[in-house]
Amino acid sequence: MGLFGTGSMVVFGAIYVETATYLKRQSEIWLRREMAGRVLSSPAERIEHLNARSQTDFGEQRPFVLFAADGRLLAGRMATRPQPPVFDAPFIFRTITSSGHPITYRTLAHRLDGGQMLVVAQDVDEADDFSKLIVHAVLMGGAFMLVLGLGGAIVLGRSTARHIDAMRLAIERIVTGHLSERLPIGGGHSDLERLARVVNTMLDELERMVGEVKSVCDNIAHDMRSPLARLLAGLERAQRRDGDRVAMRDSIETAVAETKQILRIFAALLRISEIEDGVRRAGFERVDLATIAADAFDYHQPAAEARGIRLDCDAPGRLLVEGDSDLLFEALTNLLDNAIKFAGERGRVMLSIAAGPVIRVADDGPGIPAHEREAVLRRFERGEASRNHPGSGLGLPLVAAIARLHGLTVEIGDGMPGCAVTLRPGGPEQSVRKRASRPQFWRSSLHRSG
Amino acid sequence: MSNSSSVARVSAHRLLVVEDDVRIAAEIIAALADHGLDADHVGTGDEAVDLACRNSYAALVLDRMLPGKRDGLAALTEMRARGVVAPVLILSALSAVDERVRGLRAGGDDYLTKPFEFAELTARVDALLRRGKPARDAVLAVYDLRLDLLTRTATRGDQAIDLLPREWRLLEYLIRHEGQVLTRAMIFEGVWGYRFDDRTNTIDVHMSNLRRKVNCAGVALIHTVRSAGYVLRAPR
Repeated sequence: MGLFGTGSMVVFGAIYVETATYLKRQSEIWLRREMAGRVLSSPAERIEHLNARSQTDFGEQRPFVLFAADGRLLAGRMATRPQPPVFDAPFIFRTITSSGHPITYRTLAHRLDGGQMLVVAQDVDEADDFSKLIVHAVLMGGAFMLVLGLGGAIVLGRSTARHIDAMRLAIERIVTGHLSERLPIGGGHSDLERLARVVNTMLDELERMVGEVKSVCDNIAHDMRSPLARLLAGLERAQRRDGDRVAMRDSIETAVAETKQILRIFAALLRISEIEDGVRRAGFERVDLATIAADAFDYHQPAAEARGIRLDCDAPGRLLVEGDSDLLFEALTNLLDNAIKFAGERGRVMLSIAAGPVIRVADDGPGIPAHEREAVLRRFERGEASRNHPGSGLGLPLVAAIARLHGLTVEIGDGMPGCAVTLRPGGPEQSVRKRASRPQFWRSSLHRSG
Repeated sequence: MSNSSSVARVSAHRLLVVEDDVRIAAEIIAALADHGLDADHVGTGDEAVDLACRNSYAALVLDRMLPGKRDGLAALTEMRARGVVAPVLILSALSAVDERVRGLRAGGDDYLTKPFEFAELTARVDALLRRGKPARDAVLAVYDLRLDLLTRTATRGDQAIDLLPREWRLLEYLIRHEGQVLTRAMIFEGVWGYRFDDRTNTIDVHMSNLRRKVNCAGVALIHTVRSAGYVLRAPR
């Protein structure tokens, strides 16, 4: 409001100055014109004209006066004789009217042949009146605007302050753990509202991620509980039977195996975390996805064959992408492993690569049980059937992390029959998120056993 | 086990372990000792540079995270600058590929991420110790097994062995490391060229197929080494 007000004042000021200057100029032009006219007329006409004027010019606002060389008033009416500082150029002359009122004239004086002085003048206030009108208008307008503006500002400000207060309260609640709270929005389009909307979207994402992390931590704790329990049991058994060398050796071997399994889970967790942090982006190069797919196919082919599963690979001759070849291979391995594991006897697994890049691993196994389909598509829930499969715990979260790092999303589809996992470009990786927050841990699923 | 003798020593198979965690260091040294390798131990980068330059070690096991101003990679760079040519196995908690590249660029020869299995450590140390000049022979042979690299054929005695391309690559790798225990990770990296932790041991299927083809043609040459990996060696 202040800005607008100042701006307006400046504009009005400019208008005033321009108007005043214009009026002054017009006045001077008029003086010169009249002067020229009087000078050109004959002396007799001149005197007659001046006298006639002074009859009608009651306010003495535009006197035309003729003075003799010795200063005597010859025609026209003027209380005192002006002493022009210069001839033929306008000057200000202060005198009084016949009725004794002070008056200020813009005056033009001319020396005639013979020593007479011809004076043409105009009351300065006459021109000034208009300027004064403008000033009054401006002041009135200014005052009005001030009142209106202040009033408006108070009303608006109060409403904004209320809005901000509401937001502050909501944020406080969120910070103390009520993650499902959102900032209030009224449906308007002010900047504040837009900001609130953006923050709410961010909170949606945050809530989801925290939920994921909680869920994954729970699942991981569960995954590790069994190996740790077995480890402890085995070692305690060794303690009890410490005389029996065979039993001891047996227990130690079991302990080693379980510990390795636990270490693998940890290592996978750390890697997911590293990948999520984008640290491995630094290792990105131009790699040929077709070659990687061919290598993955080559690697898993014997295992598939051993289970009677037909593994096919459909890839173009060359597909260059920006990525990490080790990670891409690992992602493919995880997907192929799962597919082969769950395809069932004499099933088919197809690995396809297309430009995009789009990576798809599909099997024609039993597919996803109806009651798990939605859960799997929504949120990588851990399915019942997977509970006893070793090592399948962190496969999909790892694939998801690798996918995200490469700007891809993971879709689990129902192959009808079977299951298809597709990686394709997309996902929030594209947006601002750099070192954002915590990991997108998704819990693995793929449990489809009939 | 700390030993900072001022007498220069040249030893065929003495290693230097640079690790600031005393307990891990003890385990590493014990594992190496069980494997028949002696080792000195220091805990800082400065000491490492000092000893490595004064003594001639067969190989180094170097932890990246070291206390003090000089971390593992800085120490390694310094050593290489001063002419230490011994192969170096870098240990680190960082598995990111760019970290690995940095380690290798600083002069490392191999890289292991913690936590690691000690069988992996000893196998890789062995590989570093036995690293010789790359064989440029056209034929690789162990016992009665011959691989002709030009014709890409394999025979045992006079019997040809029919191998798929990937089986060929696998066998070539095993023969080039004849006598060394090779972990699954090493075999995978050596043959497929990627680096990752395959927790499902898919490689076993490959090895099983290959073993069947190779061993059946005569005396068994490819053996499984429990808890470690595989080895190809001539019968004693």
